[in-house]
This record gives sequence, structure tokens and C-alpha cells, in this order.
Amino acid sequence: MPDPLRYLQAMGVAAIVSASIALMMAALRRPLSDAWRNSVSVLAIGIGLTLGCHWLAFRWQWPPANGLNRLLMLVLPAIGTLELVAGCSAKFPRFARLAPFCLAIAIPRILLDGSVYLTPAGLPVPEQPLAVIYLASGFPLAGSWWLLTRLSQRASGVAISLTIPLSLALATLCAGLSVMLAGYLKGGAAAFPVGGTLLGAVVAAWLLALRFDNQTAVIPTVVVPPAVISAGLVGLFGLLFVGCAFGRLPPGRAAVILLAPLACWATEWRLIRDRNPWIVALLRLILVSIPLLVALILAKREFDRTMAPLLGAPQVSRRSMSYRTDHAITQPQVPQDFSR
Amino acid sequence: MRKFASAWILALVTGSAILASGHLAGAADEYAYDLVHSSVSFKARHLDISWIHGRFNQVEGKFSLDREDPTKSTFELKIHADSVDTGNKARDEHLRQPDYFDTKQFPTIDFKSTSTKAIKGGYEVTGDFTMHGVTKKVTLVLKGGKEIEWNKKKIVGFSTEVALKRSDFGFDKSAIGPIGDEALIIIDCEGIRN
Repeated sequence: MPDPLRYLQAMGVAAIVSASIALMMAALRRPLSDAWRNSVSVLAIGIGLTLGCHWLAFRWQWPPANGLNRLLMLVLPAIGTLELVAGCSAKFPRFARLAPFCLAIAIPRILLDGSVYLTPAGLPVPEQPLAVIYLASGFPLAGSWWLLTRLSQRASGVAISLTIPLSLALATLCAGLSVMLAGYLKGGAAAFPVGGTLLGAVVAAWLLALRFDNQTAVIPTVVVPPAVISAGLVGLFGLLFVGCAFGRLPPGRAAVILLAPLACWATEWRLIRDRNPWIVALLRLILVSIPLLVALILAKREFDRTMAPLLGAPQVSRRSMSYRTDHAITQPQVPQDFSR
Repeated sequence: MRKFASAWILALVTGSAILASGHLAGAADEYAYDLVHSSVSFKARHLDISWIHGRFNQVEGKFSLDREDPTKSTFELKIHADSVDTGNKARDEHLRQPDYFDTKQFPTIDFKSTSTKAIKGGYEVTGDFTMHGVTKKVTLVLKGGKEIEWNKKKIVGFSTEVALKRSDFGFDKSAIGPIGDEALIIIDCEGIRN
């Protein structure tokens, strides 16, 4: 059964741990380089996520047996490693640019490993061909990754920059709730530690930016380390993909949630861009929240229609209802044999 | 000449029949699972006050029975988890999800015998039971095994019940909820000799 308090606790643990580690590690080294901050973020997200999942009594199983295990134990660590390598390999910018795209195409294959989608002999072939699944999922991920990374690199101040991981955190929580409402509790629950680490990363980035402001009056070149965006986006994608492939999350709804953070780009329109940063940041969050709210409302309606009867009051079949109603209105029709 | 040929043919046929019967006597009889006259059903406690019943509609299997040396008998059963049917479409969909059977990841529930011994009224079969990606040794007491001939077919039937804990097979404990952890699986099967 769902345990909302436990989910919130797991999110809190993940947020506090990831923010604390990021701040402590950042305090160890001055001045802070972008590569160092990126590496620190990888470590902070990794430990925060692990402890958050541990709080949810997540079953770590090696080799990972299902899509969620593969997401948490293979895909997200691979993203962390990629970010560490990319941070250290400033001399190889092509690697840093190309590696995320290669990984984006490979992630669906990793998540589907061993499932019926890879059609072992004698099992029913899934409705969609594999190539369609890979392309329809890998390209939106790669595109979103590129667009959000580009957006975060545009100098726009601390408040506006922080809206990107905040949008990803909102989308992740929305994804978790949608996956849960579609009937996959454990998959949805995993969104809480993922969202928590993103919130922790936002707090850490904000506090570090404040310190920069106070001490040097110079804003760091990158407010949000790329690792935060990569981990957040891939975590969001993975949860949605697992929810669609193994649960019953409709792909259209998953696409809306995945692409919602891209609404942040709308504020890059000249007329909005030059306004007060706080207003722009607020506008970004509102624009991202609208599709997420619509997705949640649709998920709740579908839950009420399909799943709620399983949890709520016992259903009485229509036939027996009409039988009772008929008898309530008309005189009781007792067969003569029994009435004697 | 005709008499001589007839005698040869008779001798050949008789010899072959004797050889064949001698050979067959030592071999195990192979049976295919008869889906029409078999069922794999289950029941689990609901709120610890009543039972929820369900069945798997798609099952495959085969078994071989060696009457002379029952230890050489083998049993295999493959249940398609996707075919779960509890009489409620919404609940069936929910049971197919990863919190329960995870049918997209673990499409089948398998049993493969590793040892068999004859007991009074049937067989005691120990084997690997794989469900939800977890394999455990399970012992089934199969009652029956008597072969009858019906409609020119040789048929054998078995019945068994086994209680399994879902948590032993990697089902999420937090998702167990109002449905009890223990499920009673009831298998009634007929096999047609190949």
C-alpha cells in the first residue's frame, strides 16, 4: 500500500544528504572550478539517491533484474561516470558533446534488457517494433538533454538558472505520482529520492551562488553543474520509460511530462528575457507546471475510473443492483412453492 | 515361393514387434499437457477474512513417466503469467504490473523437476520453481498417475496443491497490502501420451 509519509521522508533524506555533501565538498577547495563543482555534484547526487532509496527499503539486486533496478544501478551510475570523465577531459570536447547522445540511444535498450520486448522465442511479440521504441524514446531524450544543457549555459542569473533543475524536480515528482496512479507503486516511489536529490542540488547551488555574490561579487560561470541536469533528465526519462514499458503509463502522458521542462525556453523570448529575473524564474515555473498539472489530473481521473474500485468500497454488479431495485419497487415475487 | 515370402514377412513383423515392445518397456512415456482439461488456479487471502481466486489461462507443459523406474520421470510446466484471470479486468491489469507479476519482465512462471520418487497414490516431485525471476526448490506431491484409454488416446491425470510465499519470490513486501503473502496454487492437469 502507498505510504506518503515514507515517500516524503525519502525525498527529505535525499535532499538533505545531497545538499550537505555538495556544500561540504565545495568548502574543501577554493577557488571552485566548474569541473570540481560538477564532480562534487555527481558524488552528492549518487550518495543522496542511494540513501533515499535505502529509506524506501529498495531491494538492491545484482545483477539488476528489472527495469527500475537497471535504471538505478546501471543507467544513473553510467551518467555519473560520464559526467566525471567529461569534466576531466576538457581537452576532448567532442567526447563531452557526443557521449550523452550515444548514451541516450542506448538507455532504452538497457532498460528493456531481458524483457518480452526483446522477444525470446515462443513469446508474443509486443505491439511496437523495437526500432520504433528506441527512436521514439532515445531522440526526445537526446533532444531534451541538448536543449536543457544549452539553456543552462546561457548567462541569465542565479534565480533563472536554478529553475532548470527545479523544473526537472517538479517533472520527476509528477512522473512518480503518474506512474503510481497508473498502478506501479514501487516505480513511482523511486521518483521521490530522485526529485529529492535535485532539490538538494538546487539548494546547494543557490547557497554557493550566494557565497560567490557575498565574497567576490562575481557569479560563477555555471550556476547549475551539468551533472545535475544530466542526472535529473535521465532519471526523469528512466522513470517514465519504465512506467510506460513495464507499467501502464500512457506514452503520450509520459512525453508531456518529459518535455514539460523545455517550457523554460519560452522565457528566452526577448520581451520576457530582459525582465526582473525573479519574474522570469516564476514565469518559467508556471509554464512548466501547467502541462504537469494537466498530466496529473488526467492520471488521477484514470485512476478513479480503473484502479480506485479495487481499493475502495466493494462493487456490486449491475445485474444484482437492478434485481434489488426491481424488487424494492414492485411487490416481492416469492415463488409459490417457497411461499407455502 | 509365395508361402516363403509370407513366412519371411510374418517373421519380420513379429520380430520387430517383439523388439519394439522390449524397447518400449524400458522407456518413459511422454505426455503433452492438455490445456482443455487442465487448470492452474490459485487463491490468496483477502484482508485475512476471505479468499480471492484466480487462474492462469495459458499453460504449457510436458511430462514423461517411467513406470519401471519412477526416479527417471520428469515434469515441466510453463505458466504464462500474462494470462492471469481473477474475474476482474482492472485487478488482472494490476497484477500484471511490476509490483506483482511484472509480466513484461518475467513473462513465464516455470517448474522443472530435478528429482522424482514414487509414493502411495502418485509421485513426489522436487524441482526448480521460477517465478518473478527468483528460482527456489519446491516439492510437489502429485496425486494420480493412472493411465486410461479414452477415444483412442492414452491419458494420465495428476492433481497437486502447493502453498508459496510471494515474498520468497521477490515480490515487493510493501505492495502485498490487503492480499495475503501466501498463495495456494492448485494444479489439476491431464496429459495425452504422444
